[in-house]
Amino acid sequence: MVGQGGRHQRSVRGVLRRLTLWLALSIAALVWIAPLLFMLVGSLKPDARVLPEAGSRWAFIPRAASLDNYRDVFARVPFFVYLSNSAWINGLIVGLGLIVNSLAGYALARLRWRGRRVVLTLVLALLVVPFEAIAVPLFYQFSSIGMRDSFTVQVLPFVAFPLSIYLFYSFFLGLPRELEQSARVDGAGVLRTFWSIIVPNSKPAFASVAIISFLSFWGLYLWPLLMTTGPQVRPLPLAIATFQTLPPLQWGDILAFGVMMVLPVLIMFIAFQSWFVRGVASSGIKG
Amino acid sequence: MSPLTVLFWIAGGLFLFSTTGGCRRASRSGAQAEVLSVWAHAGRADERRILQRQVSRFNEEHPEFQAQLTFLPEGSYNGQVQAAAVAGELPAVLELDGPYVANYAWQGKLRALDPILGEKLHDDLLPSLIEQGTYRDSLYAIGTFDSGLGLYAHRKALEAVGARIPRSAAEAWSVREFEEILASLASHDADGMVLDLGLNNIGEWYSYGFSPVLQSAGGDLVARGDSMRAEGILDGPESIAALQHIQDWIVQGYVDPNLDDAAFTAGRVGLSWSGHWKFSSYCPKGDCGDVVLVPLPDFGRGSRTGQGSWCWSITRECKNPELAMAFLRFLLRTPEILAMTNSNHAVPGTKSAVAASADYGMNGPLHLFASQLSGGYAVPRPRTPAYPIISSAFQKALLDIRAGGSVKKALHRAARVIDRDLADNHGYPDPQAARRDGGEGKR
Amino acid sequence: MKRQPSLPSGNRVEARVAWLLVTPALLGLFLFVALPFVLAVLISLTNLRLGAPLPLEFVGLRQYLRILSDPAFLRALLNNSLFALMVVPVQTALALALALLVNRKLRGMVVFRTLFFMPVVFPLSLVSVVWILIFAPGAHGTMNAVLQWLSFGSWHARDFLRDPHFALPAIMLTSIWQGTGFQMVILLAGLQSIPQQLYDAAQIDGANAWRRFWNITLPQLRNPLTFVVIVTSILSFRVFDQVRVMTQGGPANASTTVIFEAVRSAFDRAEVAQGSAMTVVFFILVLTLTLLLRRVFKQEGEVS
Repeated sequence: MVGQGGRHQRSVRGVLRRLTLWLALSIAALVWIAPLLFMLVGSLKPDARVLPEAGSRWAFIPRAASLDNYRDVFARVPFFVYLSNSAWINGLIVGLGLIVNSLAGYALARLRWRGRRVVLTLVLALLVVPFEAIAVPLFYQFSSIGMRDSFTVQVLPFVAFPLSIYLFYSFFLGLPRELEQSARVDGAGVLRTFWSIIVPNSKPAFASVAIISFLSFWGLYLWPLLMTTGPQVRPLPLAIATFQTLPPLQWGDILAFGVMMVLPVLIMFIAFQSWFVRGVASSGIKG
Repeated sequence: MSPLTVLFWIAGGLFLFSTTGGCRRASRSGAQAEVLSVWAHAGRADERRILQRQVSRFNEEHPEFQAQLTFLPEGSYNGQVQAAAVAGELPAVLELDGPYVANYAWQGKLRALDPILGEKLHDDLLPSLIEQGTYRDSLYAIGTFDSGLGLYAHRKALEAVGARIPRSAAEAWSVREFEEILASLASHDADGMVLDLGLNNIGEWYSYGFSPVLQSAGGDLVARGDSMRAEGILDGPESIAALQHIQDWIVQGYVDPNLDDAAFTAGRVGLSWSGHWKFSSYCPKGDCGDVVLVPLPDFGRGSRTGQGSWCWSITRECKNPELAMAFLRFLLRTPEILAMTNSNHAVPGTKSAVAASADYGMNGPLHLFASQLSGGYAVPRPRTPAYPIISSAFQKALLDIRAGGSVKKALHRAARVIDRDLADNHGYPDPQAARRDGGEGKR
Repeated sequence: MKRQPSLPSGNRVEARVAWLLVTPALLGLFLFVALPFVLAVLISLTNLRLGAPLPLEFVGLRQYLRILSDPAFLRALLNNSLFALMVVPVQTALALALALLVNRKLRGMVVFRTLFFMPVVFPLSLVSVVWILIFAPGAHGTMNAVLQWLSFGSWHARDFLRDPHFALPAIMLTSIWQGTGFQMVILLAGLQSIPQQLYDAAQIDGANAWRRFWNITLPQLRNPLTFVVIVTSILSFRVFDQVRVMTQGGPANASTTVIFEAVRSAFDRAEVAQGSAMTVVFFILVLTLTLLLRRVFKQEGEVS
């Protein structure tokens, strides 16, 4: 914050202040992402050197880097099959979820109908139910109709997501009523209003719900473990389990797998992060 | 088109796409006669590769049938198989870890193999393997190899402290002798850690590697037989004494945590409590050099060691049991057994294969393992449907003991868990009897 | 929302449309969340075991009595409570501190924001694997080496994940590291929407930095802070992946959690009914906690 006063003196102090801030942040950031660096550098080392060098500076500075571990990963598991499975499954969960949950959130926020309160309370209560509580009954439900081992069984239970509904609800509550009024005066139906007016004005909400639901589901391990068998439909988190068998634990391979698993998501996130921050900023979360 | 219609077309399309699995769907198990579905655990790389090659060779010989192999992660193998079993989606041929056979047989998921095995093969199989796969007098699973458990040692280290080197299980060190050796080795060792107990492993290793110690001391996991119980046995004085020894070794700092799994090969420790699967890394290309194999110490009633390993079963959902048996017969051919055991150095599963094996011949480096099995020093893990609970409770007790907790309390807790499970399941009554009695069985 | 006057006739159409919009989600929620949970409650009153060919019996509250006298489960409840008590304040404070640091109009702040957020993108199971290596025992483990350096050599190496005193803190640290970035972004958004005039006015009045923070920043952040606290609290009770990968609940239950015990019961010991009972207890606990927290931090402008 800049105040008044002798410009020359202030600017020196200002520069010093900025520099210290920069330094503090840089050190903090470096310490913060140290584990990620560790992962990256470890993935470039031969397995035998990952542990012994964990405590030295060579854990964070690469030397004699090689891509052998990455080659190993491709040899051990059909990586791209798992990757595309994860992409499809999560894409469907997020995509279908955006449609289904936004419609519900809109109806709860903007329309008048009997039962609105009840449904809202139900949604909030279901927010608390942990997935692990319903995993076994769901397992019985799906097994009894023979739907194991498919994409469907990995997508369907997660499309309707109470948190997404609540986030859309909060956001739509905060939209100015004038938006719809002009369309309604012209005689447009609810759905058309939603599609042509609400949605374009809610891009940040859609972005943040998309990201939150993506992050909630893409690491799912227990459900696919129970419900699927072969690599044809299994997602990435299960592939890492094949590396964690009996020793010798090949740490280099495991870290290389981790890097490859996270890289696409990381890149996507870095590219779209401004949307995300804007989305959070204008969503109902912050008030 | 109204937005409503558009929306529903998109949603419907996505839904349909997801239903058809995006043009990709895991194949159904045993549904078609031509495909023989086979599940195996994703273990060590060499075993996986050999199994894959064996499946290809089988398929070449039988072009009209295709065996299809799927690997499941080993870590939660039993959980996954159990889930598939409940859903009725087991494959035709299922690999199981030996002690878990009784549980699946009790659940009625496995076919009895006696009618289709044939006498010649039955006689050729190692008796320990027949024993492993038998539940209530029916054979449900056969392995192509059995396991060996012992102590690998660096000969020079032993000679340096003046220890004798036992040549057979009858000559095993007493536990007191063993502890003296540990102390002497430690005094010559830089970090004092001279023993690798495989503590970097998790899971079944604990039950397999350390329950023989109970039996060697005169205790056991449970009182075997019809009135099975753990109380007084697992937490009896003999069992407690045996595990107290092990805890002492850990507490005194003799044991290397071995997170990099290289303690023995790097020479950090002189002794490694391990099994046949370590042979290829300890004795590369069969050249043992300085490495010798000795039996586990005698805790009072003689040296005892473990047995049992992965074995093959045919499930009730298999539509073509003859074909499945043909696959198992293929795996049990001497050259096929040797293909696997020459690589993983396990004990070959048939007498003919043992005779033909270089490792296990009279002067072979792994002869100790075979002699332990035939000499009665190997004790199978309890063959009961309660085994998963027994193993899980014992593993937990060992983890607590390892962390320095009271041995007596840990074993007592484990015994209580096991006994309560036995009571909950009404002693795991014979399902045949239950069916005969019209579902009443034992209440 | 203001109370609406008596409904005009167009409302029946509106109601019909509303139901149309809400049905897909409701169907999903009912089939895949509500129904299975009701089933879970029912299962918890039986002796159901995975795959056992035994007759299903109704046993009333036996499972609940068992788990409430099971030392492992009780320890799990304690651990989760400790977790919440430690992690919620620490993670929130850390997130706030980072948000304040990053909330300057300086060049490169976007980079820092990205860096602090990165761990959130990683699935917990992967994060746990990396932290196993960091917590490796012996002097060559990263954490041991760092602590050794920071304490000028007076730290002796420990096996964190197998030490009853350090296992749970190790898991807490891993969780804090992974989760702070997300809360930071939320608080940052909140900070950025505080009108600058408030600060200018306060500065003219002579308020120092601390009073500005206490009297302006904190109250203005009430809503996002409430959200952060509630969500972190709920998530503190759902700790599972880290325990599964790093410590398996050990040593001697020092790091076990409610969900871990529930999953272990249901899938390792095939005691599905017992696992269900644990999750029902979990639900009741967390619901109560959430309601309590909402009452304590009553949000501004919130329709109850």
